[in-house]
Amino acid sequence: MAAGKLTSKQRVAWTFLTIGVLLYALFPVASIFVTSFKTQADLGSNQFWPTTWTWDNYEMIFVGGAQELFLTALRNSIGITLIATAVAVVLSTLCAYAIARLNFPGKRIILGTALAVSIFPVISVVTPLFNLWRTIGLYDTWLGLIIPYLSLTLPISIWTLSAFFRQIPWELEQAALVDGATQWQAFRKAIVPLAAPGVFTTAIIAFFIAWNDFVYGISLTSTEAARPVPAALAFFTGASQFEEPTGAISAAAIVVTIPVVVLVLLFQRQIVSGLTQGAVKG
Amino acid sequence: MTATAEKNPASRRARQEARLGWYLAGPAFLVMLAVTAYPIAQALFDSLFSHRLTAPDEREFIGLGNYTTILTDPVFGRAMAVTLFITVVTVAVELVLGFALALVMHKALKRLRGLLRTSILVPYGIITVVSAFAWYYMFDINSGFINSWFSWVPGITEDLDWFSNFWTAVTVIMLSEIWKTTPFIALLLLAGLAQVPDDLLEASRVDGATWWQQMYKVIIPNMKAAIMVAVLFRALDAFRIFDNVFIMTGGEAGTEVLALLTYHQTISRLEIGLGSALSVIMFLCVVLMCWAAIKLFNVDLARGTDASSGKGEK
Amino acid sequence: MTGSRPRVAATAMIAALALTGCGETDDTPVLTWYINPDDGGQAALAEQCTDEADGEYIIQTSLLPNDAPAQREQLARRLAAGDSSLDIMSVDLPFIPEFAEPGFLAPVPDDVAENTTEDTLDGPLEAATWGDELVAIPFTANPQLLWYRESVAEEAGLDMDEPVTWDDIIDAARETDTYLGIQGVREESMTVWVNALIASQGETILADEQAEADQLQPQLGSEAGQRAAEIISTIGSEGLAGPGVASLDEEQGMRLFQGDNGSFMVNWPFVWPATNAAVEGGDLDEEVLDDIGWAQYPRVEADTESAPPLGGVALAVGAESEHPDLAYQAVECIVQPENQADYFLTDGLPPSSDSAYADDRFEDEFPMAEDIREAIDNAAPRPQTPFYNEVSEGIQSRFTPISGIDPETTGEQTDTFIQQVLRGERLL
Repeated sequence: MAAGKLTSKQRVAWTFLTIGVLLYALFPVASIFVTSFKTQADLGSNQFWPTTWTWDNYEMIFVGGAQELFLTALRNSIGITLIATAVAVVLSTLCAYAIARLNFPGKRIILGTALAVSIFPVISVVTPLFNLWRTIGLYDTWLGLIIPYLSLTLPISIWTLSAFFRQIPWELEQAALVDGATQWQAFRKAIVPLAAPGVFTTAIIAFFIAWNDFVYGISLTSTEAARPVPAALAFFTGASQFEEPTGAISAAAIVVTIPVVVLVLLFQRQIVSGLTQGAVKG
Repeated sequence: MTATAEKNPASRRARQEARLGWYLAGPAFLVMLAVTAYPIAQALFDSLFSHRLTAPDEREFIGLGNYTTILTDPVFGRAMAVTLFITVVTVAVELVLGFALALVMHKALKRLRGLLRTSILVPYGIITVVSAFAWYYMFDINSGFINSWFSWVPGITEDLDWFSNFWTAVTVIMLSEIWKTTPFIALLLLAGLAQVPDDLLEASRVDGATWWQQMYKVIIPNMKAAIMVAVLFRALDAFRIFDNVFIMTGGEAGTEVLALLTYHQTISRLEIGLGSALSVIMFLCVVLMCWAAIKLFNVDLARGTDASSGKGEK
Repeated sequence: MTGSRPRVAATAMIAALALTGCGETDDTPVLTWYINPDDGGQAALAEQCTDEADGEYIIQTSLLPNDAPAQREQLARRLAAGDSSLDIMSVDLPFIPEFAEPGFLAPVPDDVAENTTEDTLDGPLEAATWGDELVAIPFTANPQLLWYRESVAEEAGLDMDEPVTWDDIIDAARETDTYLGIQGVREESMTVWVNALIASQGETILADEQAEADQLQPQLGSEAGQRAAEIISTIGSEGLAGPGVASLDEEQGMRLFQGDNGSFMVNWPFVWPATNAAVEGGDLDEEVLDDIGWAQYPRVEADTESAPPLGGVALAVGAESEHPDLAYQAVECIVQPENQADYFLTDGLPPSSDSAYADDRFEDEFPMAEDIREAIDNAAPRPQTPFYNEVSEGIQSRFTPISGIDPETTGEQTDTFIQQVLRGERLL
C-alpha cells in the first residue's frame, strides 16, 4: 500500500517500527543464544553478555557428559516428528482433495471432526492414552508418540490443504477426465504437480507442531527409547550434581531451534500463506 | 452439480464419487477419531472410579464422586480462575499487539515485508518449552539479567524472585505465552486486513474520515469474522496452557493451571479416576466455549474450510 | 537427592551404555539398572560388576529424572505397566513402601538378604523394610548434619562439642544477626525437616504406618507436631533464614551459609565437596572453608538425642524382571562395602554399611565420616507408607511459606487435609 516514495519522516518511522518488531521477535532467542555461550561463572553473573564466550555447553551435549541424553533425544525427536509429519501429510492430502473436489455425504462431519480435534485439550487425552499404551505395549515407543502427534497435525493439515486445493486450476483435471482418465489418474497426473507446493507448506506447518510437542513427550515416554528433546531438557544437569543445568539446556534449546529458523528463513512466504489460508480465507 | 441429475449414469457417478470421497478422507477421519473420541470416552468411564495405579486392587466404582470432589474443592476453583485469567489477559493483549503487527506488515514496503514476516515467524515456530526456558532464564534470580537491567523500575530489585510470588510469576508466564503466540494472531489478522475492500477505504478517505474513523467504521467491521476466529482459536489454545507453567514454576506460587492440575493428579499421583474426571471437565469447558462463541457471537468456525469445500455448495 | 525443582531437574548422565567386559556373547542376559543421576559412580559400578560377572550378565544403566518425586513417577508408571525391563532400580528410600505394597518388587532371596545386610546401619535398614520384610537392598544412606561457622558459634558463646538444640541456634542467629541455612522452599525438603523435628522428640508423623488410605492418621497436630511447627515458624516469622527463605533449597541454603551472613546450616554431606570445589575454583575464600565445622543434627529437647533426616537409595528388583536371580546377584555385587566406600569418595553419597566406614581414605576426603556414620545410625526414615507422596505433598503445601505457619493450628489443618486427600475428597 505504502508504495511510492517515503518522506524522511516516514523513513524514520519505518526504521523504528522495523527495529521494534525485530527486537520483539528475536530478543528472547538472542538471550538464550547468548546464555548458551556462557561459562559456569557467567551464568550466575546476572548480566546479559558473557565475559568470555565458550563452547563448553555445546561440547557437553554433543561429546560430553550429556551426549547420551541429548543425542538420543535429538534422534527421537527428528525421527518421530518426520514420520508423524509424513503420515499426516499423506492422509490429509487425500482427505483435503476429497473435501475440495468431491461431493459426498459426511463431508461436514469430517470437517467438524477436524475442528473439534484441533481444539481438544491435549491433557484430556493423555490419561486414557497412557493406560491404553501400557496395556498394548506402545508406551515409551516411537509409534506411541507418532499416533497422538497425528491428532495435532492432521486437523490443521486438512484445513490448509483444502484451502490450497481450492485455488488449483481444476480445469486441468476436467480435461484429463474428458480424455478418459479416471478420477484417480486425473488426481495423480494433473493435480499432484500443482498441489505439491501446498503439500510442502503443510508439511512445514505440521513439522512445527509435532516438533513443539511437550505434553505427550513427557507423559508417554520414560526412557531414551522414545523421549523427545523438549521432554529431555528436564533431565539435564550442570557439570556437577548441584550445579544448575542452565548452560546445557540453553545449548540444547538453540540446537532444536536451528531447524525452525532455517525453515522460516527459506520458506517464510509459503508458511505465511499456508497459515492464513487454512484458517481464515473464505 | 449432481442435484438435478436423474439419469442413471449420473447417479452411479454420484455413488462412485461418494465412495471415492470416503476412501480418500476416511483414513484421516478414522485416525482423528481414534486418538480423541476413544480416549475421551475412556476418560469418561475411568472418571467414575476411584482408581490409583499403585493400588490396582482397590479400584472402586464411585459414580460422580470424583466430580463432586473436584467441583467442591477450592484448589480446582483457583486453578480455573488462574487459567481463565491467563486466557483473558493473554488473548486481549495478543489481539491488540497482533493487530498492530498485522498493520505494520500490511503497510510495510515490499522489501521490508519479507524481513518482518521472517522475524515474527521465529516465535511462532519455536518450541514452547524453549521459549519458556528463554524467558525463565531472563528473569531467574540466579542467572537472569532483568533485575539488574530494570532495577530503576519501582518494585524491581536485585533480590526480586519473580517465580516465588503469584503476580510476578504469572506475569512472566503470560509474557512468554504472548511472545510465542502473538505472531499466529497477527497472521490471521493480516489475512483479514487483506480482505477489507480497498474501494470502501478509498470512499471513506474521500469523505474525509480520520485514521481512527477509518479503523472503526471500515476496517474493523470488515474484519469482524477474522477477529472472532482468531480470538476463539487463541482462547481455546490459551485455556490449555501447560508447557510454560510446567517449566517456569511447576504450578508453585499459586500458578497451577487446569492442565497442570490434571497432570499432577494423573501422572504425579497416579490417581487415574480423579485425573480422568478433570480431563472430562476440561473437555466440557472447551466445548462450552465453542458453543458460546458460535451461538452467542455467531462465529462461523467452519467458514474457512467449509467455504472451500468447492462444488458441493456452488 | 531430595530437592531441586522439576524444571531444573537435572542431571546428566554418563550412561555407560558402552559395554565392556569379555566373555559375553549375544545371549548374555542384559540387566537394566535405572539409576538416579549422580556423578557417574553408578555407571562405573555397573561396568565393574559386569566385568566381575564374567559373561554371566551385563548391567546396562538407564537414567531417571533428577528429583526424587519425578523418579518415583517414572518408576511407578513403568512398574504399574508391568515393564519387564525394570531389573534393578535405585529407589529413593521413602518410596519403597509404595512399590512394595502392591507387589511390584521381586521378593529378596534369603541368602541375598543375609549377605547384604550383615552390617547395615539401622536407619537405612529400617527404610528398606516393609511389613517386617526386607524388600530392597540398602545402598547409600545420606544423613543431614549441623554445619556451623566456627566464628559465629564462638561469638554466640556456643560450645559445639556439646549437643546443641534448635533453640540454641535460633538464639545464636538472633544475637549475631546472621542467617540460618534451612530449607524453606515448598519441596520434599520441607517434609524432611518436619519429620526430623518430630522424630527428634521420639514421635512419628503417622500413628500407624501400615494403615490403608482411609485409615491413615497423621498426627502433626500432636504436641510434638506443634513443637516442630513452632520451631519452623519462629525461623520463618523472624526472618532468621534471610529474605529468600521461600526459595531456599539445599543448594541455596549452602550458598547462604557460605556467604557473609552464614551461621548454622542443616544439610547433606554434599556441601563439603561442593564447598571444597568452590574454593578450588576460586569462587570462595579459603578462610570460609577453614571456618566451617560440623556436629550432629540439632536436638529439639536438650536431653533427647536428635533423629537426623535420612536420604539415600536402596536397590530394588522389579517383580516382572525376566532375570530376578541374576538381578539380585548383580545387586549383591554392587552393594559390597568396598564399592559403597568408593561411591562415597567419587559421588559423595555415604555408605549404608557400617564396615565401609573403616576405609582410611575417608580421613582426607570426608573428615566428618565418623559423624556421618553416627547420624545414619540415629536417623529416622520418613513416614513409611504407600501414600508417602500424598503425606509429603500435604505437609509441603501447609507448612510453606514458613512465615505463615501458626504452631497451634497448622498441624491440625495439615492432618485434616491429608486425610481428605487420601479419602479422595480433596485434590492435591
